[in-house]
Amino acid sequence: MRILIDNFTKTFGTTTVIRDMTLDIESGEMLALLGPSGCGKSTTLFAVCGIHRMNGGRLLFGDRDVTTVSSQDRNVGVVFQNYALYPHMNVFENISFPLKIRKESKADIDAKVREMAKLVHIEDLMERKPAQLSGGQQQRVALARALIRKPDVLLLDEPLANLDAKLRLEMRSEIRRIQQETGITAILVTHDQVEAMSMCDRIAIMNKGQIVQLSSPSEMYNEPASAFVAGFMGNPPISFLDGTVEGSSLRLDQSSIVLPLPESSRPASPASRVKLGVRPEYFQPENPDKVEGKISFIEIQGRETLYDVTLENGAVLRSIQSSGPLHKLGDTVRWGVDHSRVLAFDESGARL
Amino acid sequence: MRRSHLLGLGFMTPAILLTLALFIIPVVLTGVFSFTNMSTSTGITGGAYEINPRSIRLMKDAGLREGLIGDLEENLYKIDAAGLAQVEKDFGKKLAEEMKGAYDGQTFKDRRELVRAIKDLKSRPRSSRDLNKAADLFQKSILNVRYDDESAFLNGLGNLGITLQDGEQAELTRFAYTGWVWTTENFSNMAAMPSTYRAAFNTVLYIAFTLTFNIVFGVFLAVATFYLPSAAASTFRTIWFLPRILPHVLYVILWKWFTWDTGFLSQVLEPFGVAPRNWMMDTEINAWVSIVLINGFVGASLGMILFSSAIKAIPSSMLYASEVDGASRLQQVRYIILPQLRWPIMFTSIYQTLSLLTSFDYIYLATDGGPGSSTTVWALYAFKTALNNYGGNLQYGFGAALALVLVGIGILASVLYLRLFDFKSMNAAPRIEQ
Amino acid sequence: MTKNFKTLPVYILLSVLSLPLVIMYAYLVIDTFTVTTPGSLVPGPFTLHNWRFLWEPAKPGQASIWAATLNTFLFAGGTMLIVLMTSATAGYALSRLRMPMRSFMLAGLIMLHAFPTVTLIISVFLILQIIGLYDTLIGVILVRAALDLPLGVWIMKGFYDNVPWEIEMAGVQDGASRFTVWWRLILPQIQPGLAALGIFSFLQAWSEFILPQVLAPGANAQVLSVYMQAVVKSETQMDFTLFKTIGLFYTLPVVVIYLIFNKKLMNIYGGGTKG
Repeated sequence: MRILIDNFTKTFGTTTVIRDMTLDIESGEMLALLGPSGCGKSTTLFAVCGIHRMNGGRLLFGDRDVTTVSSQDRNVGVVFQNYALYPHMNVFENISFPLKIRKESKADIDAKVREMAKLVHIEDLMERKPAQLSGGQQQRVALARALIRKPDVLLLDEPLANLDAKLRLEMRSEIRRIQQETGITAILVTHDQVEAMSMCDRIAIMNKGQIVQLSSPSEMYNEPASAFVAGFMGNPPISFLDGTVEGSSLRLDQSSIVLPLPESSRPASPASRVKLGVRPEYFQPENPDKVEGKISFIEIQGRETLYDVTLENGAVLRSIQSSGPLHKLGDTVRWGVDHSRVLAFDESGARL
Repeated sequence: MRRSHLLGLGFMTPAILLTLALFIIPVVLTGVFSFTNMSTSTGITGGAYEINPRSIRLMKDAGLREGLIGDLEENLYKIDAAGLAQVEKDFGKKLAEEMKGAYDGQTFKDRRELVRAIKDLKSRPRSSRDLNKAADLFQKSILNVRYDDESAFLNGLGNLGITLQDGEQAELTRFAYTGWVWTTENFSNMAAMPSTYRAAFNTVLYIAFTLTFNIVFGVFLAVATFYLPSAAASTFRTIWFLPRILPHVLYVILWKWFTWDTGFLSQVLEPFGVAPRNWMMDTEINAWVSIVLINGFVGASLGMILFSSAIKAIPSSMLYASEVDGASRLQQVRYIILPQLRWPIMFTSIYQTLSLLTSFDYIYLATDGGPGSSTTVWALYAFKTALNNYGGNLQYGFGAALALVLVGIGILASVLYLRLFDFKSMNAAPRIEQ
Repeated sequence: MTKNFKTLPVYILLSVLSLPLVIMYAYLVIDTFTVTTPGSLVPGPFTLHNWRFLWEPAKPGQASIWAATLNTFLFAGGTMLIVLMTSATAGYALSRLRMPMRSFMLAGLIMLHAFPTVTLIISVFLILQIIGLYDTLIGVILVRAALDLPLGVWIMKGFYDNVPWEIEMAGVQDGASRFTVWWRLILPQIQPGLAALGIFSFLQAWSEFILPQVLAPGANAQVLSVYMQAVVKSETQMDFTLFKTIGLFYTLPVVVIYLIFNKKLMNIYGGGTKG
């Protein structure tokens, strides 16, 4: 089902946390609301499920305006960060609770719960209490409970945050599989860009109550609309260099280093200030535009090695290389920047 | 009004009603009652109008006109229908009719005057005994006659021919009224009575000593049981916790058995040449020690529990670290444990100060405020004044005034207590906006 | 907990300080089952003679102890029920529900929960006289419950506060009304709190003396504390053995309840004092 958040405004007391936000989620799509804590993504989620009232704007599920409909009548499934399973009920009772509230017949409930348990692979756990389940199993039960009454939209609030690293990988693909098998429209709230990129069709990245960019994961990574988005996407993160434009090049502050600007993003006025974003994979020994610096930090990640190179003006460029650690701390290196892949931003952080 | 508002208010209603009826209204009424002279003799609902020896005495003290008081005290003789009917029955129709013709409606100041008047009649009785008897049938007095309201009372006065001068009516009805009236005398009495100051002093003494005992023992018990294996620790904790749940009557009986002349202490000390005596009551000092111990052995357990859980919350790595650093046990207690107890100690002190301020049941049961009134604390003083006075006249109004002082202190202290809490975070809006 | 220090001095000190209490407890039990000779602490032979008040009046003119026992059960049980029901609902409303004047009620609650209640006994006495509940069990139950209520609501609110909001939100999303959420999802989570508060108010009421003594002293509503005090008062000679036997009979239920439930009861001291 298509979900439309139209001109949504939310205030707490006198502070407006979200102003005139509009977001159109296509039917069957899985969309990530990504942003740092306090950006308003959870507030948006709570507004969609009806826990929070909207102070302005509309919310549409398909053609149905649900702006003032209560949570109980909204038909939204939610998976909470801590799963919020009912501790005194066993798995079966947890999953069947929404159906019991609707007073469905026992046979119906039984059949639906079995089917759902099969979908999320927890058929053997029906008699257990939540406390006897692992994190991943609890997650599956929470999914089953959210999906059991065929909601119009599935909301996932940081669903992987409470899992350890290995389970996180497993559940990432499991959630995606279940979402695709059921064809349900889903909204994933997360602060982890890896989660957002790996699980979702599109990402809406939020900052200070605004959606700053809405696009597919790869587009968001390669063509960020602002320095904020560029800084948020990618791990290890992008490094920024500040400088002043000189013709078609950029002179870094307090240094003799001059780097060519990408052709597509020359600023209109000469001598303007520009922030250059260089991703670690585009700062490599073999690239043409050489920059000299001293290795100030090495992190060995096994398959790859991460270097921090401090330039003469104190700015830091990061490089990730697939070879083993060939350099030592304190080595002076001359590596090159791939200027066609460099991202340029103006002073306000907007992409040039 | 949203639906959850209704649910919330509905959920609050029983609590609000109960608190209102038996908590808030009593607070207000304590204030109201303290400005009355309610007592057993005035009753609490309303009163009647009556001149009685007591009100006569009060009127004399207040300097009312001698003549009026004399009239009120005087027996009057009034010829009325009721008296005449009686005369007809006892002395025959003739005398009755003659009296009615001659004197109906007249008032005579005393019996002699009436007897003289009867003697003038033809059908008068012969013997002076019968004359007196006949006269007595007309005897009227306002004394000890109850009138339900003011106009009936004034009517009664009028019927007896008692005449009031200007301004006397209001005063007289005031003295005749037996119900309660508004007054500020409770407070002036309170300020004037030495027993008030004694009670205040006792209260301060009681709180200071008992609180100190409670806190010191609470800390000691918490720290000591912390160092014991858990079975031993919980045994000692149970021993000290039991007084808290034992019925107060029984607990005090046990102390009486322990301290009285036929009790444990006297029996143990007798072989050593100490004469049996009532260790609880024989001197003021002993009474005080008993009071503090009786309350303290109960109060210490609250501190013990709260401090124990505070000590348990100290990360054990901190304790191990201090031991590795070579701290002795006393040093560990001094530098690691006690600093963690600062907040619970403050909390317990304030909470117990408030409850000690008003608790009196152990004192009431143990020494009953004695010997003399040496252990009568304010709350007990108020209680005895209003509800437990062997003299028989319970002074509700004065007792309420005494209680009002405690209520005032209680409200002030509760406001302070409110400040101890992080009210802002408690008051955070519920997260579901329905 | 820590093994680096000797425990013997601690044992000795604690034992000495606990001695008066231990002696009292010991002789409380010993004296009631033995023939006590005045002036001797050595227990005499076993006897049940001291317990005869169970089948005959303790003193001529005294009522049977069983009526008082029944009254005490009604008093403590009634108080417990009222406190539990009103605290369970009011605590939830204050913890979780939006409603008008919420912060006013919260502030009032904190103030009342510290407020010294005994001071009100004089006006409560007069109020009960006026509304005609004086000397009835109902009256004294309502008073006891009302005075316990602020603490009860406060404690229950503490327990509700500790239930994750997400459980509540999940329930609402699952289509349950707020009432159903409370009844079927939240109440089961706070059972320890209900148990602690229930035990606490039962024990409090069971041992209570002043309130019933003042508000319901008559024979019809007499509870065990008033009964026992009446026996004590009617004695010119202090017959401690009789008092202790009645006292032991009186206190047995609370000691049993305490020994069984003391872990649960202790929850109250965690819930009630959180800042």
